[in-house]
Amino acid sequence: MHTPSDMTPLFSLADGFWTRTWLRHPASTEVGRETDFMFIWLWWFCVIWFVGLMILMVIFVIKYRRKPGTIAPPSSSHNTPLEIVWTVIPSLFLVWIFFKGFYGYIDKIVAPGHAIDMNLTAFKWGWQINYPNGSETPTTGRVGFREIPVFYMPAKTPVRLKMQSKDVLHAFWVPDFRIKQDVVPNRLMTVWFEADGPNEKTTTRHEVVSKDSPEGKKRPDLVALSGAAYTEHLVFCAEYCGTEHSEMAAFIRVVEPSVYEAWHTAIGTPSDPIELGKRLFKTKCASCHTDDGSSSTGPTWKDLYGKTETLKDGSQVLVDDAYILESIFEPGAKIVKGYEKQNMTSFRGLLNPSQVQGILEYMKSISVHAPKSETPTQ
Amino acid sequence: MSGYGHHGGSYLESKGSFWTNVVDWATTVDHKKIGVMYLFAIMTMFFFGGMAAIAVRLELLEPVRPIQDAAGAIVGVKGQLFGSSDAVSLEAGNNMYNVLFTLHGAIMVFMVIVPSVPASIGNFVLPLMLGAKDVAFPKLNLLSWYIYVVGSIFAVCSIILGGVDTGWTFYTPYSSSSWLGQPKVVLMVLAAFILGFSSILTGLNFVVTVHKLRAPGMGWFDMPLFVWGIYSSAIIQVLATPVIGITLLLLAFERFTRIGIFDPALGGDPVLFQHFFWFYSHPVVYVMILPGMAIISELIGVHAHKKIFGYKAVAFASLGIAGVSFIVWGHHMFTSMSETASMIFSGLTFLVAIPTAVKVFNWIATLYKGSISINAPMLYALIFLFTFSIGGLTGLPLGTLSTDLHLHDTYFVVAHFHYVMMGGTIMAIIGGIHHWWPKMFGKTYNEKQAMIAAVIVFIGFNVTFFTQFFMGTRGMPRRYASYVDEMQIWHHISTGGSLILLVGFLWHLFVLVQSLVAGRKAEKNPWGGLTLEWLADSPPEEHNFPHEPLVTHGPYDYESAVPYHWDPKDYPVPAENLKAAGAH
Ligand code: HEM
Ligand SMILES: [Cu+2]
Repeated sequence: MHTPSDMTPLFSLADGFWTRTWLRHPASTEVGRETDFMFIWLWWFCVIWFVGLMILMVIFVIKYRRKPGTIAPPSSSHNTPLEIVWTVIPSLFLVWIFFKGFYGYIDKIVAPGHAIDMNLTAFKWGWQINYPNGSETPTTGRVGFREIPVFYMPAKTPVRLKMQSKDVLHAFWVPDFRIKQDVVPNRLMTVWFEADGPNEKTTTRHEVVSKDSPEGKKRPDLVALSGAAYTEHLVFCAEYCGTEHSEMAAFIRVVEPSVYEAWHTAIGTPSDPIELGKRLFKTKCASCHTDDGSSSTGPTWKDLYGKTETLKDGSQVLVDDAYILESIFEPGAKIVKGYEKQNMTSFRGLLNPSQVQGILEYMKSISVHAPKSETPTQ
Repeated sequence: MSGYGHHGGSYLESKGSFWTNVVDWATTVDHKKIGVMYLFAIMTMFFFGGMAAIAVRLELLEPVRPIQDAAGAIVGVKGQLFGSSDAVSLEAGNNMYNVLFTLHGAIMVFMVIVPSVPASIGNFVLPLMLGAKDVAFPKLNLLSWYIYVVGSIFAVCSIILGGVDTGWTFYTPYSSSSWLGQPKVVLMVLAAFILGFSSILTGLNFVVTVHKLRAPGMGWFDMPLFVWGIYSSAIIQVLATPVIGITLLLLAFERFTRIGIFDPALGGDPVLFQHFFWFYSHPVVYVMILPGMAIISELIGVHAHKKIFGYKAVAFASLGIAGVSFIVWGHHMFTSMSETASMIFSGLTFLVAIPTAVKVFNWIATLYKGSISINAPMLYALIFLFTFSIGGLTGLPLGTLSTDLHLHDTYFVVAHFHYVMMGGTIMAIIGGIHHWWPKMFGKTYNEKQAMIAAVIVFIGFNVTFFTQFFMGTRGMPRRYASYVDEMQIWHHISTGGSLILLVGFLWHLFVLVQSLVAGRKAEKNPWGGLTLEWLADSPPEEHNFPHEPLVTHGPYDYESAVPYHWDPKDYPVPAENLKAAGAH
């Protein structure tokens, strides 16, 4: 792709005094810098037209001010060629601006096929991201007085957020990436970005946390980040959403892909399997199952483990590890009475053994029928 | 026509005792009195809306944040309107801010800018310009004033009940789910609904008046450009306002019945609301600006004593803008629409920029070889050209898809629409008020003081709002009670500017009140205008003209016609014109 920032300094519209004045600094994504180029180009376009018009206006006002006892010299009050010219020339510019803006927009909207998917939930008043392995970020940062989540993201890797809102309209805006997308309840909206890596100018480093320190034992994620460089970007809610609209912020911290991988693995494996199961439930299963006894597309998990279910053919089955494993990997094998019309998709290949174990432990933890002795305690 | 023929007294003449006069004004069907009543009603609302704006700006001097003691316990809240206080919680602080900006927006849009020019100056001047005795439906005209008052009372009731925090855009599902069971949101929605009727009736009245009541000899292209502008915006008022009426009713209906229309929790579609809302509210921004442009055409023509360059282009640009304005609404929703829809609406948006630009070129070309006098109205016309051009040009990065994804819902948009609405319409109406003030009240005002006030307003306006462009691009979302620390300096500058603005407006008010109390009697045609209102007395008599006027020259034929009540000392005219005009 054509990078405006590596053009000659004379035409360097996207990285100079005006970029710094208008936009703080060049965008932290490639497509964002395309926008910067467009914005600064438009800035000069507007300046030239505006200054030109104002100079004419001032000259005319001074030169043709009313002089007592004299009258305005006759002059024509229309001039067709002139009027055609000043209609057509701006129109041509506008056509160019439109296309340039449209292409920049498409680059921002269409995510590359190999982008990593993450689920983002917007709610009054905060953001939550569920990473591919189902976990959430354990880190928070501060803006003003507020604790806001810190989302770690891999550098130089396209990331696509699948966004949902729990209540009203919100909008996901990362000023440094120049992207914004409304989050509309009951719809899946997506946004994507590929952030620059942390570099000399923009970087801060994490504190060093060793694996054996008391802190490191509790927080493997901090060990993964130990000493790693990061670049920080603010996330704002841009669509008015009520009382704490202005507090609805988050941080994105961009780290090298290898650091991100280590961090992702670290947050994905909480030492407590119940915790892991609970996270997986929320991200992968909660769209059809509940964990509080209420009804939904599929049977509730509350008090399910250890119960005897009636199947659609009238036979009965005990809900134990084997039955649950079968339900996860081959959902069609046994259908519970009352759920004949629904079919669940198989999770074969989508869950690793420790994740399956986590789900089992979580189910046990919320069932009165489960044998108590087997529930591990932390 | 009956009614002409006797030389009546001024329309302002007292009819007897105080109460007789009150009843006379309250039941008048005289377009001039109704125009003046509108002017006062709108200026009153402008004052309240302005106070809300100052409150918003003062609150933004500091972000709304808790003050914590050494142990981290919250001991107070800063960023409050009246400094820090421990009596008010953080939540109340945020809510107060949200109510204030909603109030400001709703008052300024629905009660000030939309009715401003047509209902006040338009009502007063349009029939005079056409040489008519009144508008086509005088009683309807009075009714629309009462509807305006009733609508405003609904809004005031909502404010007394605590005010609403939905923003002037009433986006669902926030607006359909906040404060359920309390009447204030519905009251505010109904206020906007009722005000819409006032707008429709005024628009209807003007369309018919322009078609039917032009003086003999006045063809379509002999109409002053003011009439063209008001006419174009009246068409939009009639066609677009019913849509917002229906939308707001549906919103109220959804709140009462909980049947899903716009609220996704009930199965409705919030983006549908946005389509409905902007289908009205984009055309309505041209209801706001076309009459402002209409005033500017008059001010420049009269004070430069020059035929408006490309009269027909300006007239058709008005109609063109009115037409295109109906098909660009989607540019407010680039972040919630499909790619195809965004592409189409972006393209169409640029279409509307062209007639707008053409108008500005024409105005500036009119100055060329004119005989320009600089006074308060003309100064405002020049200020308009400055601020409105900035407003129009900043529409470009908003209409451009890639940049709008960054700028949408930030202070950049706030700055853009203040440059067009305040820098456009409000500057135009202040210019218009000074231009027609001698005609309306028969009094002169202190020109020099008015010009000083204009300069103060100009400076205050730019300090307040140019700053906000930078805020927006640098990452400040709109409708935020709180912000990150690096934004504070910008907010301080902006708030400082708003206080300068306040001084400027109060200065204007002082000059105008002084004129009413102590102004000299104004001449009939202080600026040497050629349009028919300058033929009438200052202030006009009750039936406008002693006899039906006959139009013998175009509205801007300064090179061939002689101004009414012309004083050769001030405005020399070529001798052959005098001869041709048969010496007035
Ligand atoms: C060259 C002409 C113009 C163009 C290209 C233009 C373009 C735009 C665009 C694209 C937006 C949406 C920005 C966003 O929310 O992301 C916008 C907002 C707005 N414009 Fe314009 N505009 C122009 C002139 C005007 C005029 C003449 C007025 C009114 C007098 C006006 C009033 C507004 C208002 C009120 C909003 C924001 C409403 C809100 O979100 O609260 N614009 N404009
Ligand atoms: Cu618009």
